[in-house]
Amino acid sequence: MELKNKIISKLHNFMILPAFLLFSIFFIYPLLKGIGLSLTDYDGMTKANFVGFDNFIEFFKDHRAMNDVKTTILFALGSAPLLNIFGFLYALLLDRKFVGKSIIRTIIYLPAVISPLIMGYIWYFILQPKRGFIYSLIESVSGNALDFNWLGNSSMAIWVIVIVNVWQFVGMTMVIYLAGLQAIPEELHEAGMIDGASYLQRIRYITLPMMIQPIKINVITNIIGSLAVFEIIIALTDGGPGYSTESLSIYIMRKCYGSFTGYSTAVAIVLFFIVLIPVYISFKYLNKKNVEM
Amino acid sequence: MAIGYKIKVVVKTSYREGYCKMKRTMKLLMLLMMVVVLVGGCAKAADEVTIAQTDDKSSETTVTDEIVTIKLFTGKVETVDLMNSLIDEFNAANPGIIVEQEFQKDASNVIKVKFASGDVPDITTVVTQDYIDQGKYLDLTNEVWWNRIDPAIRDLCTDVKSGNQYKVASNMTMAGLFYNKAIFADLGLNEPATWAEFEDNLSKIKDNDSEIAPFFMGGKDSWMLGHLIEFMAHGVIKQDLGITETKAAFLANDDTKLQFGEVGGPMESFAASIISARDKELFNSDFLTATYDNQIEAFAMGKAAVISQGMWALGGIIEMNPEMVGNIGFMPYPAIVEGTKPVILSAEDSAYAITSDSKHPEEAKKFLDFLFQADNMVKYSEFIKSPSAFEDVSADWGPIKDEVAHALAAGVHIGFTNENPSGFSGDDAGRMVQELFAGEYKTSADFATAYKEIWDKAWNASNN
Amino acid sequence: MKQYVYRFIRLIIIITISLLALFPFYVLAILAFTPSSVNFSEKLILLPNLYFDNFIEAWKISNIGQAIANSLIITVGAVTINVVLSSMAGYAVARVKNKTNKIMFLIMLGCMMIPGIINTVPLYTLMIAIGGINTHWAMILVLATNSLPFSIFLYSGFIGGIPKTIEEAAIIDGCSRIGAFFRVVFPLLKPVTSAVVIINGLSIWNNYAQAVFFLQKQSMKTIPLAISMFFQQYGAKWHLMAAASMIGLAPAVFTFIIFQKYFIKGITAGSVKG
Repeated sequence: MELKNKIISKLHNFMILPAFLLFSIFFIYPLLKGIGLSLTDYDGMTKANFVGFDNFIEFFKDHRAMNDVKTTILFALGSAPLLNIFGFLYALLLDRKFVGKSIIRTIIYLPAVISPLIMGYIWYFILQPKRGFIYSLIESVSGNALDFNWLGNSSMAIWVIVIVNVWQFVGMTMVIYLAGLQAIPEELHEAGMIDGASYLQRIRYITLPMMIQPIKINVITNIIGSLAVFEIIIALTDGGPGYSTESLSIYIMRKCYGSFTGYSTAVAIVLFFIVLIPVYISFKYLNKKNVEM
Repeated sequence: MAIGYKIKVVVKTSYREGYCKMKRTMKLLMLLMMVVVLVGGCAKAADEVTIAQTDDKSSETTVTDEIVTIKLFTGKVETVDLMNSLIDEFNAANPGIIVEQEFQKDASNVIKVKFASGDVPDITTVVTQDYIDQGKYLDLTNEVWWNRIDPAIRDLCTDVKSGNQYKVASNMTMAGLFYNKAIFADLGLNEPATWAEFEDNLSKIKDNDSEIAPFFMGGKDSWMLGHLIEFMAHGVIKQDLGITETKAAFLANDDTKLQFGEVGGPMESFAASIISARDKELFNSDFLTATYDNQIEAFAMGKAAVISQGMWALGGIIEMNPEMVGNIGFMPYPAIVEGTKPVILSAEDSAYAITSDSKHPEEAKKFLDFLFQADNMVKYSEFIKSPSAFEDVSADWGPIKDEVAHALAAGVHIGFTNENPSGFSGDDAGRMVQELFAGEYKTSADFATAYKEIWDKAWNASNN
Repeated sequence: MKQYVYRFIRLIIIITISLLALFPFYVLAILAFTPSSVNFSEKLILLPNLYFDNFIEAWKISNIGQAIANSLIITVGAVTINVVLSSMAGYAVARVKNKTNKIMFLIMLGCMMIPGIINTVPLYTLMIAIGGINTHWAMILVLATNSLPFSIFLYSGFIGGIPKTIEEAAIIDGCSRIGAFFRVVFPLLKPVTSAVVIINGLSIWNNYAQAVFFLQKQSMKTIPLAISMFFQQYGAKWHLMAAASMIGLAPAVFTFIIFQKYFIKGITAGSVKG
């Protein structure tokens, strides 16, 4: 009895263990095996030979890979800031009491509920040049056929993808900002108003400093999500024309299935660092801001 | 300080508020869980039965009531439903064997993971040179099926390296240019023998009615563009060398025969043809973003005069517009190099292989025996609308039988390119055609050089 | 006066962005409710009809009923495991501040940034070794694992904001600390739990990347798999595809609408502090 009680009284020290155990089995163990593969020429079938860092060298010499790095970063540079800016503006807009607020909030969040792959297919149907919904709409309203292929033009297509992505996930960013806004005590704003601060000044000096935590969450999850973009591109352009809108995640998948398993895990590690660096920088920066304020 | 206090209060009250309302939610959740547990319970019971069966299988000593599960792994989406009904029939007639069909749209990728991890199907429709080389399939050279099969199909099923057959094709398929007979007749157009004549035809179609796409391609589905390379560009090589020698040349990367990088060679001529037709605006303007389905629809509705497709597309066209049946013409691809002939794909279709890791090859063969029975083959051929490879099966397979016979007489017969090096699939080649169309290669010679470079690189990677 | 103008402009903007968010659903509805004999690219239709045959046909041929059952089993199972394990771990991270806990937590957080594909082949081998292919339980474990780090992150942040006095009182009353967690702390976690349930529930419900490998049998397919296979098989029939998508999306959308109130609260509670 004594012993049992003693054990129970110690148990709380090990509460992280069940989660960590499960995580080790289904994530860390395969991960370590995968990292090991990145140093081999494993093709998914025959015996793997150790090749050192050849896969990494190969990666930086590959045209298509470098283009994919460019596409991925370009996408993230477009998508992550836009998601945050629009998410914040949406949140400011909805941070008032009005009839139907929760309905509006639900509606704006709704697109994020749906799998990006299926959403991508729906958008493809809407946006498809020549025969999509928007095209038909423009044609029947203006009477003129629009002869411009926005998904077939590589420099244009990437921005179409960015817009669709921002459209789908802006609700998610908004909700987190909204939560942050609602936690700001009203007295602060009232005090600001008494001091004669304008709306913009209040946002700059009262709202923003109080929002560091939600900003941190949004910035970091959006960086991670944007740099790992996959399904929406598959549905909208399939990476084309050629490889011009292919992202690194798609490249990794295609290489992994295309007999280059070892190589693809090496690329996945590179992608990990491409994600890690901006996340680390923004984390440090925002923490510093947090302390300053 | 006061602020901190207030937040705490807000948080606390929100707990309380949430608490009361949560009760209802919790009830709902509990109810949901119960439903799930019930449903799950039933599913589990069903699972246990199959598990029990699998267990039986592993103890091979019990011969009498042993139940064997045969996994059929396929990437052919169009036959899933038909195959299911044939499998039901087979399972009912063979109490000791259960055949299970598994479909994956990405079959050629998924099978790789299956091989890599040891979860190997017994029968599969996915057969590639790589896996043949690695001994993944059973040698089917001595099976009785071959006595009934067209010798030309047997040749196409033969692995050049070993001279054995690792796959059996139950059907043939043809690919070439489908055209709208009415449009051709109205304008008095003849079937072209060369690309220049073909462009002439297309220009006339365009001038006559700008609403109609002269030559429609669904370029978003890059396999379709890959086919153009396999049939038109490689067709130059294939018609010159014949089936076996072409395969050998691809496998050895024999540049004297392939001449991929040469100006005036197959790739350069192909690129020049595409560029020329593109600049004359003879393709649909959404060449790069249209899909296979768009292509089928456009042709069925009379909005496209010519498309490049195979027999597999017939069902879709006719379903979309049954009145189109009598209006479908079929012709070979026109010659793109001077002095060569038009070509038409006439190749194996619906090929099956038994894996060498299969624990039950005899049962797998038994199922193929059943599938290849003449009556089932008639059903199958009529369903997928392509002629049977079995000489004793005479199925009324397609409404454009005569057009196909006519086209087969007019062009040199060529096969698929199954010998691509593994890092350079037909799909990858199709993406190069997308780039070509998008203007990323300045000249046709640039395209040929790039093609040769990528082919060589991939070939070297897998032959070292 | 000026205030009214502002209000009016705000109203207009709010209505516009709401319509924008609903736009694809509207297009989907038009398609699903239009007889397939009507060719969409030739004739523009702006109002949905009351035509239900597409739904009936899509339901019949797509096997989506079974897919909904599979998705439900997997989602509820994975979310339950996820909530239990991550709330415990979150408590450990927030309250038992020793080095081991911190390191384990950081490892898991770091893994959030790793592209999942790196795991595919080794994980598949593992699944075969444990007999997990085509089973609900293995899929549940894999998906519960994938979302652990984010859940622990939310829980630890939230628990950190709860005054310690609440559990200390319980401990004085004779509860062990772990007992106090389940009896006193866990009930307080409802807001963040509902956020975890909704966020992870949706990503598990929508999971495609793992399901495509581990659930290969036709009778085991989940909704994303069933819909994407349906797209493959009936690619040209937009009307049926739209109907099938609507059937497949409905459970997620309705669940979200029912629970969204708790969700917003949970997000507020879980993400702002911490």
